[in-house]
Amino acid sequence: MAVKRKLIKERVPTPERPAEERVKDFGEVNLGYTFELAVKEAERCLQCPANYAPCIKGCPVHINIPGFIGKLVEYRDDPDRAVKEALNVIWACNSLPATTGRVCPQEDQCEMNCVMGKVGDKINIGKLERFVADYARERGIDEELLFEIVPKIEKKGQKVAIIGAGPAGLTAAGELAKLGYDVTIYEALHEAGGVLMYGIPEFRLPKSIVESEIDKLRKLGVRILTDHIVGKTVTIEELLEEYDAVFIGSGAGTPRLINAPGVNLNGIYTANEFLTRVNLMKAYLFPEYDTPVYVGKKVIVIGAGNTAMDAARSARRFGAEVTIAYRRGPEDVSARIEEVEHAKEEGIKFEFFINPVEFIGDENGKVKAVKFEKMKALEERDSRGKRKIVGTGEYVTIEADTVIIAIGKHPNRLIVNTPGLKVERGRIVVDENLMTSIPGVFAGGDAIRGEATVILAMGDGRKAAKAIHEYLTKKRENGNA
Amino acid sequence: MPYKILDKKELAMNEVWYKVHAPHVAKKVEPGQFVIVRAFENGERIPLTPVEWDREEGWITLITFIRGKTTMRMANELKPGDEILNIAGPLGNPAPMKKYGRVLAIGMITGIVEVFPIAKAWQEFGNDVTTLHVSPNPMVILEEKFEKAVSRHIVEGFDLQPGWGMNEIAGELVKRAVAKVRELLESEHFDMVLTVGPAGAQKAVFNVVKEFGIPMHADLHPIMVDATGMCGACRVTIGGEVKFACIDGPGFDAYKVDWDELIHRIGFYAPMERLAMEHYMKALQGGEQ
Ligand SMILES: Cc1cc2nc3c(=O)[nH]c(=O)nc-3n(C[C@H](O)[C@H](O)[C@H](O)COP(=O)(O)OP(=O)(O)OC[C@H]3O[C@@H](n4cnc5c(N)ncnc54)[C@H](O)[C@@H]3O)c2cc1C
Ligand SMILES: Cc1cc2nc3c(=O)[nH]c(=O)nc-3n(C[C@H](O)[C@H](O)[C@H](O)COP(=O)(O)OP(=O)(O)OC[C@H]3O[C@@H](n4cnc5c(N)ncnc54)[C@H](O)[C@@H]3O)c2cc1C
Ligand code: SF4
Ligand code: FES
Repeated sequence: MAVKRKLIKERVPTPERPAEERVKDFGEVNLGYTFELAVKEAERCLQCPANYAPCIKGCPVHINIPGFIGKLVEYRDDPDRAVKEALNVIWACNSLPATTGRVCPQEDQCEMNCVMGKVGDKINIGKLERFVADYARERGIDEELLFEIVPKIEKKGQKVAIIGAGPAGLTAAGELAKLGYDVTIYEALHEAGGVLMYGIPEFRLPKSIVESEIDKLRKLGVRILTDHIVGKTVTIEELLEEYDAVFIGSGAGTPRLINAPGVNLNGIYTANEFLTRVNLMKAYLFPEYDTPVYVGKKVIVIGAGNTAMDAARSARRFGAEVTIAYRRGPEDVSARIEEVEHAKEEGIKFEFFINPVEFIGDENGKVKAVKFEKMKALEERDSRGKRKIVGTGEYVTIEADTVIIAIGKHPNRLIVNTPGLKVERGRIVVDENLMTSIPGVFAGGDAIRGEATVILAMGDGRKAAKAIHEYLTKKRENGNA
Repeated sequence: MPYKILDKKELAMNEVWYKVHAPHVAKKVEPGQFVIVRAFENGERIPLTPVEWDREEGWITLITFIRGKTTMRMANELKPGDEILNIAGPLGNPAPMKKYGRVLAIGMITGIVEVFPIAKAWQEFGNDVTTLHVSPNPMVILEEKFEKAVSRHIVEGFDLQPGWGMNEIAGELVKRAVAKVRELLESEHFDMVLTVGPAGAQKAVFNVVKEFGIPMHADLHPIMVDATGMCGACRVTIGGEVKFACIDGPGFDAYKVDWDELIHRIGFYAPMERLAMEHYMKALQGGEQ
């Protein structure tokens, strides 16, 4: 344990493709660590004891971070073994590390508290997590481990329906399948993955990674019914007749629009429509792929979250000049830091303290400019700790032939209209076990939180799987008694 | 999930009929609802309407007008025994089932396809339904089925002239539709009008109906992507409010529709759709490698 280490202050960098090259395609931006580099970075970790380690406390699902990092160093002479051991530690809490390693806001979670920050750079936990998952996937170590830890699944003879194949639903499905339940996922779209598939672009999260996660679920015996819209194709009531429990992971898919004149002009997209066309339907390969998308010469993206960055950087890859317009200031940008930095490197402009009040169209009903009111920040803060903003009565008009609205989303409406399902402000209400107002129906992820994060959705999926397991165990015992 | 094509026929010029095994849709679909079809790996998601279905046998029928790349590819490449990759649905809201009294249900060109299940159900529900199909003569379809299903079926057909393009056909369609609807409304009493068809022609018909003050229901066809309410491609303005046609419609009170906005939005991708079509034609002419 008490090995003397010398402090290495600087992070081992991960190679990235240069901005001028990557804006020409949708290939991944960050190339990740090799085993050697990963070990070098892992060696910087101080191995804080698990009961103290601030990184673990900062992680929403409490991954034993020094634990997995330590395995890379411990078994450095046998890379496959090192990765397998590390993956095993991660999997105890997180089933989608290749994804979360790429998309978690580490700077606000595990890495925020890292003690190395006091003397130098914090440990690059996200990239290490990603490395472990990627290396394991590329070598088939993940499947090997999967079938070692679930040697033979003992069938419980009970059936669970999962609504939605996003991170919440996929995680719940995987955990329940491992516990021996017969799991069926109902997914509205033609592909599973939720936002990971239709929202987050290829250059940030390659779709082959999501597909490999889904493939593993299938191997665990999970059945996925795409093209099934719960609330239309089948109701929750009907599912309860066929299944012993139901989990709702339908996400927050309804885009918020701006209540300003001209919002339905041509050339104005919600980020969801724009990203769905680009990612799910692969409009960047048009006309090889049939779905078109219109990206003009000057694009304005409204909002400053992850969705806005993804939309802006996607539009940039079509060769457009892109401006992000945000009504607050730089300190309130909610996107991951890495994405904001990448966006800047790729030449995306940021305009702060402007709020759209009107979309101006040409004679063909197509947008040509956006009128904004200039805003200013007050000292007073709102409930989320952001400085309040007010209009100044001054306006500025910016030309644009494409506008993408990325100001947030509400939970999916089709589900929320289920009779007997308690909903507040569009969100499904759950108890501490994630059970909804309908007995046997559980929910998690963005459907209960509104727009949140992949890791929270995944955490909910796990927690719900546990709660469902308890619920069904009782049901089984009562049934047998 | 793939769905098997049980049968396929060309009903008339450019009008193709498919009978498809899709039990999840057949079990639930109601008149007024639609499905999203994704026929090919690199294909679009397009909305189409189940015309007939059998809940027990688990099939639905679809009729497509060959209009652009997707419908053309389906016509050229799919044959009985093949599979359609995805059919999602049923989507949208069923048409309201009420006793209106005397109903005039108008389908323009392939719009008649969507009129069929609604008109038939309205008649069965106790309404006295007259259906009107305005269409170029070579594209008239479903005549016999309508004659059996409703009180009276009228075909207002017109011949295609050599050299006519889409614009001329649309012009003639509007002219015929407007004249025939005016004639019917002047000579008979109707309590309700339904239209389905190209938005420009729907608007022209609405302007006539409005003069008579008769309630009117219009099924709208904005561009759709997911059709589950998560993208907003299909947004329409209804009575000053933004609605998503896929989950709030597709049927709306014609008096509240912002027709000009709808017409603009539907036409937005025309240049790209032409490009996709040219790309496809070129590939066809290049022959298969
Ligand atoms: C563009 C974008 C970028 C993002 N970037 C990040 C990031 O970098 N980091 C991060 O942590 N988070 C990010 N997020 C947020 C994150 O993706 C979500 O919090 C997360 O995906 C929520 O997971 P979920 O499983 O609850 O729902 P979703 O991922 O939304 O999945 C829900 C699934 O349910 C399906 N569904 C909905 N209704 C029905 C129905 N009636 N019947 C059947 N199926 C249905 C949907 O089609 C979908 O597949 C981003 C979100 C977006 C949109
Ligand atoms: C609710 C609804 C029900 C429909 N039912 C039928 C039907 O039963 N039979 C039928 O032939 N047609 C129907 N349509 C129209 C059908 O979706 C279009 O004909 C089809 O998408 C054309 O695709 P394409 O690639 O062949 O043509 P394209 O060249 O891509 O497009 C030609 C025109 O079709 C329309 N269109 C294209 N893509 C879409 C889309 N994704 N969503 C909606 N419209 C689009 C536009 O007006 C476009 O200008 C329906 C549309 C809606 C909204
Ligand atoms: S806080 Fe930093 S140094 Fe301590 S265990 Fe976590 S990653 Fe390692
Ligand atoms: S088609 Fe996407 S919301 Fe209606």
